[in-house]
Amino acid sequence: MTRVRLLVRRDNAELDEELAFHLQREEEEHRAAGMNANDARRQARIAFGGVERAKAKCREARPGFWMEVLAQDVRYALRGFRRNPVFTITIVVTLMLGIGATAAVFSVVDRILFRALPYAHGDRLVSVGLVQSMEPQEFMLGHFYYDWRRDQTPFEAMTSENAVTRVCDLTEGSSAQLSCPIVEVNFLPTLGITPAAGRNFLPEEGRPGAPAVVLISYGLWQTRYNRDSGVLNKTIEIDGKPVRVVGVLPKGFEMPRLQAADVIFPMTMDEAADRKTNSGLGGPKRVFARLKPGVSVEQARAQLMPLFEQTQKWIPAEIRSNFRLKVRSLRDRQMQDVRVMAWVLLGTVLAVLMIVCANVASLLMARGAARQRELAVRSALGASRGRLVRQSLTEALLLSLAGAVAGCAFAELLLHIFLAIAPASVPYVTQAQLDLRIVGFTVALSFVCGALFGLVPALQRPREEMLTGRSIASVSHARMRQWLVVGQIAASMVLLTAAMLMLRSFWKLENQQLGMREDNTVTARITLGEHKYSSAMSKMMFFQQLATRLRFLPGVEVVSVSDSLPPGGAHAGVRYGEILVDGKPRTTEGPGSVVIARLVSPEYFRALDVRIVRGAGFQESDLTSNERVVVISQRLAEMLFPSEDPIGMRLNFEHVGDPNAPWYRVVGVAANVKNGGLTGEETPEYYFLRRYRAEDWGRWGVWAQTSVFVVRSSLTEEETSKAIRNQVAVLDPTLPVDIATLRQRVSKLADQPRFQVSLVGFFALIGFTLAVIGLYGVIAFLVAQRTQEIGVRMALGAARADILRLVMGKSLRLIAVGVAAGLVAALSLSRVLSSLLFGVGPRDPMTFGAMTLMLVVVGLAATLVPARSASRVDPSEALRAE
Amino acid sequence: MQATSDLLQGTLDLLILKTLVTEPMHGWGIARRIQQVSRDALEIGQGSLYPALHRLEYKGWIQSEWGESENNRRAKYYSLTKSGKKQLVAELEDWDRLTTAISLVLKGV
Repeated sequence: MTRVRLLVRRDNAELDEELAFHLQREEEEHRAAGMNANDARRQARIAFGGVERAKAKCREARPGFWMEVLAQDVRYALRGFRRNPVFTITIVVTLMLGIGATAAVFSVVDRILFRALPYAHGDRLVSVGLVQSMEPQEFMLGHFYYDWRRDQTPFEAMTSENAVTRVCDLTEGSSAQLSCPIVEVNFLPTLGITPAAGRNFLPEEGRPGAPAVVLISYGLWQTRYNRDSGVLNKTIEIDGKPVRVVGVLPKGFEMPRLQAADVIFPMTMDEAADRKTNSGLGGPKRVFARLKPGVSVEQARAQLMPLFEQTQKWIPAEIRSNFRLKVRSLRDRQMQDVRVMAWVLLGTVLAVLMIVCANVASLLMARGAARQRELAVRSALGASRGRLVRQSLTEALLLSLAGAVAGCAFAELLLHIFLAIAPASVPYVTQAQLDLRIVGFTVALSFVCGALFGLVPALQRPREEMLTGRSIASVSHARMRQWLVVGQIAASMVLLTAAMLMLRSFWKLENQQLGMREDNTVTARITLGEHKYSSAMSKMMFFQQLATRLRFLPGVEVVSVSDSLPPGGAHAGVRYGEILVDGKPRTTEGPGSVVIARLVSPEYFRALDVRIVRGAGFQESDLTSNERVVVISQRLAEMLFPSEDPIGMRLNFEHVGDPNAPWYRVVGVAANVKNGGLTGEETPEYYFLRRYRAEDWGRWGVWAQTSVFVVRSSLTEEETSKAIRNQVAVLDPTLPVDIATLRQRVSKLADQPRFQVSLVGFFALIGFTLAVIGLYGVIAFLVAQRTQEIGVRMALGAARADILRLVMGKSLRLIAVGVAAGLVAALSLSRVLSSLLFGVGPRDPMTFGAMTLMLVVVGLAATLVPARSASRVDPSEALRAE
Repeated sequence: MQATSDLLQGTLDLLILKTLVTEPMHGWGIARRIQQVSRDALEIGQGSLYPALHRLEYKGWIQSEWGESENNRRAKYYSLTKSGKKQLVAELEDWDRLTTAISLVLKGV
């Protein structure tokens, strides 16, 4: 740098000498022609023209000139910033908030909304199947899957995985429980996945009697086998049986349903057998397919209709109308309702970014207006328009750079906070990292809006009047800034109402009555592997043993065992129309809504403190009885027996599909419990007793593997958890236990709303603060501009109150227009939120009223400061300033 | 001053190059020579001569050297470089083409 400067200095010295020589020579010439010394010098100067101008032009001709100018501009800009630190800090902080928030949220949302699925041409992958009121995720059954696969036209390929991802045990070395999906042999090729090592399954490996082979996950390969390629073709032992490893899945591999996959087994495709299993329904499958190029999801659905109609004929008539065909993109399948949340977040952040840009623009324009005189002076001193524009651009660039650096740090911080509070139900969120492209985008955006509005004053031809120092402020700027503020207020109105709606919804969610006791209750969920506990008997033995052990722990008051717990849904249930009441005709209304079922031990109601409102409930004696008994919820009782006593009535739940299904005697009515998820309704429910019989422990197929223990004790939750862990380890040290207090489990369900409300609330606050700052800035500027006018008014007899009213009136007009525009926008946009809200309508009048009031009040408060300073204007001074 | 703005854009460059063909000259000399040769019809704005000289030097068409002037003082002498000579030929051709075209148009009307 010094070298460059020295060089420049030498060049300048030479230039001076060169021009001096020229002038001297010209002067000599005139002297020779007979002029006197003075005239000769004068004549020489006239012939030459402006010496300094020529020098400047010479310097501009240098190739490195732009760098000199840039350095000068930067120095000048920095000096300007230092002179005006409040302005600079405000802009940089504003940009930091905008850039940081946008970058962080984009980084999270990008993976949800825009990220390419990790499959070849992932946009052509769809999930296809039937849905019904009890299973809203599309599925297929072995009974008809083969026909569909053979006769379908819209797909290039169709593939499936077992609906249930098996739990299996690695039984060599230190044994471990693994997640083992079973997939069709063409599963990975259909997704476009090539193994990291080894190969995919071969077609013959899906035929009955084929040798057992598996693919293992990259993670397992790394942790268990040290990434040794020797594992290929090696035999490992799973569930006590030898299987040969033929391949390793690629590093970032994800199952289409995003469940864990440690070892993948090929599905044995025995069509004849598969059609008959599961009491003739065929094995349940999740089906994925690759669309032919150019075929849309809607077209595919239309082309599958004939197949669907054919399948419908086979569904029992009572429930036929309940089944629908569903084809949706894999991305939609994966994201479920998270998508809405992602869009809401994105919208929120874009609104904040808009407010930020408006603030930056407004600040720069105010500065520009204040600097008009300076610009006029510089222009009069010979600065070209281009030079002034360049200067403005340099300033904008410097500000956006500073904002970007601060913003990146802020984004990194925000991202950490997001990851800490993000619920596990938001896919990919843990993989989110700051995306530099997004940072670049936001920086570019802030630069553009800075440059755009910074340029306005520079582009205007500075008028000579500016030199007089009279404030002939450009009215257009003021008007534009006012519009910007109106826009900001409108945007923050939308943000605030959205945040408030979500906050109210969350509050209702947190404070709703669950109908059960949560405190001092520890739950333990245990899943038994099929290998060690293959029979229903062995499962019953284990769970009963554990229950007995837990009951005898010191301090334990009650222990219950059930297959599931509220407020989460249950694993099983029937449609209302399927329930038969002994001695009554079958209901002719359609299949109706879902009634859920749980398998419980007698202590269940006591453990959760669910009141038995009628009857005796389950008794110890029922455990060994031959009779089957059931407890129904109050809701179900009201539906089935509006005017009779349900106790003693006999019900049949499973006669659809099984004419010999058993009858159950109602022995109790239990109080309603929040059981359809936190945001769901209270679903009618019935409880089966798990007696000391293997058949009661083998129900509902794979779900029999899992039981949930509820333990209430006088010990602390930590002590209880530790005791449970110890007791499980005594029985089976390899068994993983998922322990959580009931409160934690309930609170986990509220994770997503909590995540949403904290993010949206945070951004709404940022946006609101910035909008208020913007409003303050504009009013303060207007007051400063009108000081003289105010002085005149006061000199003519206006009271302070009049001036106050004048300024506040102006501010109120801006706020009113902004709030009105915001209300219209918010009312038309809030419908988007309805699926995220609970117990609050998207047009909740209280929310809208409160936010309007708050905006008006805070907005007016912000203008009170400049308004007061306006009313304190000293007329004599204001007039003298002229 | 006024005369230069009447000069066609780029014409000043051509005049400078042409002037330097015969011998190296300093700035004042170039201005003088153009004035004399054009019989004072073309009065070069002396001030605008130097930026042009510097620009041409940065382009590499002329080079400068400090030397002794006719009145025994240090002066900066400019001379044509090889690429400057080439540029002169090209610019002369352009000029010819332009003037022919213009005269054709003027005659044709």
